Amino acid sequence: MNINQLIFRNLKKNLRNYYLYVFALVFSSALYFAFVTLQYDPSMDSVEGSVKGEAAIRAASILLVVIVSVFLLYANNIFIKRRSKEIGLFQLIGMTKGKIFRILSIENLFLYFGSLLIGIFAGFSFSKLMILVLFKTTGVDSIASLRFSPQALVQTILVFTAIYLLIMIMNYTFIKRQTILSLFRVTSSTEITVKKLSRFEMVMGIVGLVLITTGYIVSSKLFGGDFTTMPQLFGAMIFILAAVILGTYFFYKGSVSFLLNLARKRKGGYLSINEVMSLASVMFRMKSNALLLMIITTVSALSIALLCLAYISYYSAEKTAEKNVPHDFSIIDRDSADTFQAALEKNNIPYTEKSIEVIQVTVNASQLIDRSLEELVIDPKAMPLPLISEKSVSGMEVSPDEVVFTGYDDLLQKFMPLKNSGSIKIKGKTETLTQRYVGLEDIYPVSWYFTAGGVPTAIVDDAVFTKLKSDIDPKVQKESTLYIGIDIKNEEQLEEADKLFKSTETYKKLYNESRHEISTNQKKNMGLTMFIVGFLGLTFLVTSGCILYFKQMDEGGSEKPNYMILRKLGYTQSDLLKGIQYKQLFNFGIPLLIGLLHSYFAVQSGWFLFGAELWTPMIIVMVMYTILYSLFGVLSVLYYKKVVREAL
Amino acid sequence: MSILKAAKLHKSYGNKNNKQHVLKGIDLSVEKGEFISIMGASGSGKTTLLNVLSSIDQVSEGTIHINSFEMTAMKERQLAEFRKNHLGFIFQDYNLLDTLTVKENILLPLSITKTSKKEAEKKFEHVATELGISEIKDKYPNEISGGQKQRTSAARAFIHEPSIIFADEPTGALDSKSASDLLNKLSGLNQNRQATILMVTHDPVAASYCSRVVFIKDGQIYTQLMKGEQDRQDFFKDIMKTQGVLGGVQHEH
Repeated sequence: MNINQLIFRNLKKNLRNYYLYVFALVFSSALYFAFVTLQYDPSMDSVEGSVKGEAAIRAASILLVVIVSVFLLYANNIFIKRRSKEIGLFQLIGMTKGKIFRILSIENLFLYFGSLLIGIFAGFSFSKLMILVLFKTTGVDSIASLRFSPQALVQTILVFTAIYLLIMIMNYTFIKRQTILSLFRVTSSTEITVKKLSRFEMVMGIVGLVLITTGYIVSSKLFGGDFTTMPQLFGAMIFILAAVILGTYFFYKGSVSFLLNLARKRKGGYLSINEVMSLASVMFRMKSNALLLMIITTVSALSIALLCLAYISYYSAEKTAEKNVPHDFSIIDRDSADTFQAALEKNNIPYTEKSIEVIQVTVNASQLIDRSLEELVIDPKAMPLPLISEKSVSGMEVSPDEVVFTGYDDLLQKFMPLKNSGSIKIKGKTETLTQRYVGLEDIYPVSWYFTAGGVPTAIVDDAVFTKLKSDIDPKVQKESTLYIGIDIKNEEQLEEADKLFKSTETYKKLYNESRHEISTNQKKNMGLTMFIVGFLGLTFLVTSGCILYFKQMDEGGSEKPNYMILRKLGYTQSDLLKGIQYKQLFNFGIPLLIGLLHSYFAVQSGWFLFGAELWTPMIIVMVMYTILYSLFGVLSVLYYKKVVREAL
Repeated sequence: MSILKAAKLHKSYGNKNNKQHVLKGIDLSVEKGEFISIMGASGSGKTTLLNVLSSIDQVSEGTIHINSFEMTAMKERQLAEFRKNHLGFIFQDYNLLDTLTVKENILLPLSITKTSKKEAEKKFEHVATELGISEIKDKYPNEISGGQKQRTSAARAFIHEPSIIFADEPTGALDSKSASDLLNKLSGLNQNRQATILMVTHDPVAASYCSRVVFIKDGQIYTQLMKGEQDRQDFFKDIMKTQGVLGGVQHEH
């Protein structure tokens, strides 16, 4: 058998074993090529129009390269260790290290560039799909036509060749450093050492749990008002990050074994097959992979959280727009409204109008607000608030001595919470009225021009309103005291009306706004972010899933003798397989669960900065992630099935 | 009453062109409570014989009955079922699960048969005191000595009171002190519990603890020795003599 045959046979054998590696390689090169193609594609200009599309996609492609190269290097590290016996054998029969390296390089060359080629081909077909997805999420109307970009091809090949060279350097140093003896020993030296749980590990386990819990608790209080200055807030954020990441490490290093050990102690030595295969093995193996698992967990938590937040803002784009612009069109002066309405009538678009008189008053609300973030520069003793009459809000009844607040921004509420009762003083120019505060409503009656983007609107009795109106303090008034909201009766005509709105003079005046436009803009921005975060998250998911799978392949190999023993003792294959499923539930479930928990608390602490809907988008993202991730667990069980069958 | 009855066992490996005939018609019967050992040179087929008798490997021809069940006719699933109730194993390299403590390892066979926890505890106490491993029950296999490991492995084989115990070179990896210690324990269990033990060994000392020794050569039974009333030393000498005749390469005439 000559060298070429040897290479060819190795290749064939490897393909069967490492199909997932090939898949991951094809997938990541396809994705990279697609991203780069997008970057160079002229049709991207329409997306760029509103946001810096190209820059975002370029940044994403760089991140992609980082993820992919870390993954490939890591995977290669696993593979070369698995093949150390073979390398040792070659050396034993007199091959030089240089020759072995050459064999490995040629083998990898075929495997790697073969996959790359398929990847690029797939990526090209894929990029069309991607651009369609992109246009759909950003709401850009453009025909997705793609041309093959030689620039993108060159860039992809260059980047992946660089990664290939890096892998080769790694292989070279690995082979160079080894002696024949140590090559034979590699697999045995990586095996786990089984010892009793030391006290140190127990302490570490408890510290890990405590750290994570404190991190969670602090994160849920982050915007609860305990941290009132910016440095404090930043300090808290850094603390959470450090506590959770370190806690995760300790969790894998100690807590898992600690908890499982507790469960095991209770059994008094009498373990069922499921426990033998899961508890006992997971307990020792997680410890030795603590660093890897910590990285995987943290980065998956990060990507889930980012995905959730991006989706939250995308999902609640309409709701946010509704808060800022309560009607289809918000106009703040009569003339503009008339122009627009005339245009509407001319085009036979029926509409309704709602006009509200809004005055600005200075309010002393120190009884309701006892603290405020210094940086917000709002003085609770003299807050400018918009004021409207009860008549302007249908169904609202307010007694003469009362006041109702409505439409207080969620975010602002976190920093300046309102007490449930108290009284406020409303200052006019000469007079000051004391009103009893009776509650907060969730209606947004006027546009954000009047509410300065977030402060609540005060509603008082009509008589009181008239009184205050005659006593307004000109210093605090805005230019306009009239809000005109226009709603289009037929929803189908909304876009037409929007076009009309943009063509009139009305649009040119600042603060005359169309809700439709605001919500599409928001969608455009968040759509691109979501698109990028989504694909990066997917790459990360695939690569980290693959890494866990490879780890399981390794484990399967080293646990094969155990399966033989168990089968000799009389356990059937299906008994063992049940135990393995149980074990994989831990191996894949624990990192997933911790990742989901981390991201839940991260999202929970700051989601209101991004949108108005928490649960639906978060659950959708998490369920999707879980399903995709579980696929790798299923694949690993299938692999184990083979191992168990061959064990006896 | 015979526990194991094997008739005309044949076993061959390989394909049509290159056939390796390892067992060539072996008949063997083991009585209840017997401590029997199988001896033979390397490659004589003794381990293959043990594997087919213990259902780990399949015969090419012939029948094996254990407790009047015909093992050779069973399916994979039934065999597993059979192994869990009727067979116990002791191996040269202990075959303990590294991730389980001594006690957990020993209780494994009981957990397959879903014995109640209380009864399992009782059985464990019993077998652990008999084999002298009560003190190390919470240790992991890599924290104990080879002799202790082998006694753990023996305890695992005995705990569910199987019909027959197969031991494959149990003393192979032990020093002479631990080996004689283990053999004393095994023959003690053989007498106290009326346990049937079938052991494969090439160590004449180990074989001298048995009540019968079967010699195998080139896949056939060469001869048998019965201990009878003689003491262990004399029996050992007999075994040595037979082995002397048995060993060595025959000259082609």
